[in-house]
Amino acid sequence: MSHRHSHRLSRLLNIGLPYFWLGLFFLLPFVMVLRISLAEPTLAQPPYTALWEWVEQGVLQIRLNLANFQLLREDDIYLAALLNSLWVALVGTVCCLLLGYPMAYAIATAPERRRILLLMLIILPFWTSFLIRVYAWIGLLNANGLLNTFLLWLGVIDEPLKILHTQMAVYIGVVYSYLPFMILPLYANLTRLDPTLLEAAADLGCRPFRAFLRVTLPLSMPGIVAGSMLVFIPVVGEFVIPDLLGSPGSLMIGKLMWTEFFANKDWPLASALAIVLLAVLVVPFVLMQRLQQDDEGTRT
Amino acid sequence: MSSLPDRRLLESWQDPKAAPYVRIERLTKKFGDVYAVDDVSLNIFQGEFFSLLGSSGCGKSTLLRLLAGLEYPTSGRIHIDGVDVTDVPPYSRPVNMMFQSYALFPHMTVEQNIDFGLRQDRLPRRERAERIGEMLDLLKITPLRKRRPDQLSGGQRQRVALARSLAKHPKLLLLDEPLGALDKRLRENTQFELVNLQERLGTTFVTVTHDQEEAMTMSSRIAIMEAGQIMQIDTPTAIYEFPNCRFVAEFIGSVNLFEGKIVERQGDQVLIEAQFGGLMRMRSFQPHAIGTPVMVAIRPEKMRLCETPGGDGVNRLQGIVEDIAYLGDVSIYRIRTGSGLLAEMTLTNIQPRTEQALTWEQEAVIEWSPTSGVVLTE
Repeated sequence: MSHRHSHRLSRLLNIGLPYFWLGLFFLLPFVMVLRISLAEPTLAQPPYTALWEWVEQGVLQIRLNLANFQLLREDDIYLAALLNSLWVALVGTVCCLLLGYPMAYAIATAPERRRILLLMLIILPFWTSFLIRVYAWIGLLNANGLLNTFLLWLGVIDEPLKILHTQMAVYIGVVYSYLPFMILPLYANLTRLDPTLLEAAADLGCRPFRAFLRVTLPLSMPGIVAGSMLVFIPVVGEFVIPDLLGSPGSLMIGKLMWTEFFANKDWPLASALAIVLLAVLVVPFVLMQRLQQDDEGTRT
Repeated sequence: MSSLPDRRLLESWQDPKAAPYVRIERLTKKFGDVYAVDDVSLNIFQGEFFSLLGSSGCGKSTLLRLLAGLEYPTSGRIHIDGVDVTDVPPYSRPVNMMFQSYALFPHMTVEQNIDFGLRQDRLPRRERAERIGEMLDLLKITPLRKRRPDQLSGGQRQRVALARSLAKHPKLLLLDEPLGALDKRLRENTQFELVNLQERLGTTFVTVTHDQEEAMTMSSRIAIMEAGQIMQIDTPTAIYEFPNCRFVAEFIGSVNLFEGKIVERQGDQVLIEAQFGGLMRMRSFQPHAIGTPVMVAIRPEKMRLCETPGGDGVNRLQGIVEDIAYLGDVSIYRIRTGSGLLAEMTLTNIQPRTEQALTWEQEAVIEWSPTSGVVLTE
């Protein structure tokens, strides 16, 4: 009896622990942000009004302030920033995919001994702080930085290229920073690909490039989706890269959020922005997954 | 004897006029320092069901992959239907292969898998649909055509793989352990089906197997391979009855090997002084010199109990029954002679087991006839 008891306990722990973790570190902060987004900013500590208060004996007054969301809808700057962020994330993701796929493929097909070295080279930059690595790009890209000095010395250009503080610099920073997140899931997917499938394709008359298009590419779709999500989602909310490398006038949702939080001390508006961003990112993915499950359901 | 041999009585490989369909000339494949295939020459004729038989690592799979073009030889040439294909890449060879793991495309339905090769040939849609229908019919998998490989059983996958490799009507079909992944019952049924299919289509089949029973039942001819070399090429009967060396004799079935020395030749027979102490008289067409050390190979089922002891004592062994393995239809008896030699004899269980004369620890005399075995020198 006690044996069964402990078995149930361990099952409860196994299932419960991840939920507890998610509840504590994901759901609870989300509820807190949601709560702040429905408050009003005040000059106090914390800088937002309470959601409810006891006005008199037995009467609880709850004030839900939707003005923040309304402001987001009315002021075009937020929509523009959101669209610009999605666009930057899209371009960055596509660039990472175009650059990362061949790299992941090369690593996956390299001899086993060399693979570890190549993977190390991909992961190695993580050992340095992200912030410092982005700062380093300022030194590389500015008017008398390494790149321009080198190109001038080569004689390819007559005057320094204006790269820093442009959209181009943001793309460079995004691709540089997020490339490993594209390569690693793709690599994991491509190494699991059965090489005899390509032999079978060749045996059935398929030249190597067509075999890649008809066998390797469709089978690596899960890796492509995983890598793209790992790049796209954080880039939408990216703050450091557009702030350090981008032009001051460029609007990104992450930068805007930072301004509202720290410069304007408007926590409720910033929280509302965060909620909207989350909805924009999460809802499509949930729908997509639902569709995929339905598709699998009809197949079997 | 002056008249020409009747071609109808000759199998293609016995006919000196028949042109081989696949001609392998002094083929060698090295991986690093290892010879996977070592100077192999081999002719395969149209319509044959040819088996490469050997234990794992003997080079049989490499030879098959060389035929498919998935490996290129270190030296030697391969001709298929009169064309030198040695340097032709796999996608341009008139050859298809059924892989041991089947290698079905997991993201495609059965139909799409079969269609894969046809699309590469740029066949018109109508013809492709016809060909797919034909293959689905042939392998009785029409109801499965919309399924994906992960929704099929092992036996069904095997059929789909076969359908896919036959869809392009290849000149030569290569099969790598075609029945290896099936369970025993299914394997036996599929053996006969595969042979029927091959006879109906007339396609030349080359299969790789490590299962001798499979090779014996299905093949027109078998090549026994060992360490990258071919030890013997012959019909299943000839391989079994007339192995040309000790390795082949021991590889196929079980065999008694008695060592001895030639002491006399009498017409087409030789008299051999056996190491176990007696005399053996065996038929042999090879010109052995007197004194040549030889081995006499006799299959256990060609031994019989001696009913009338005495006589000249040639081709006879005396010992006690040490072991009996009862297999239902037959029993295997192991008889230990006075000199310590262990001989094996298989007897059909004509009587129920309980009424059989021979039992443990019993004295027995076994014998064989001069034509029931072969004399080997290596």
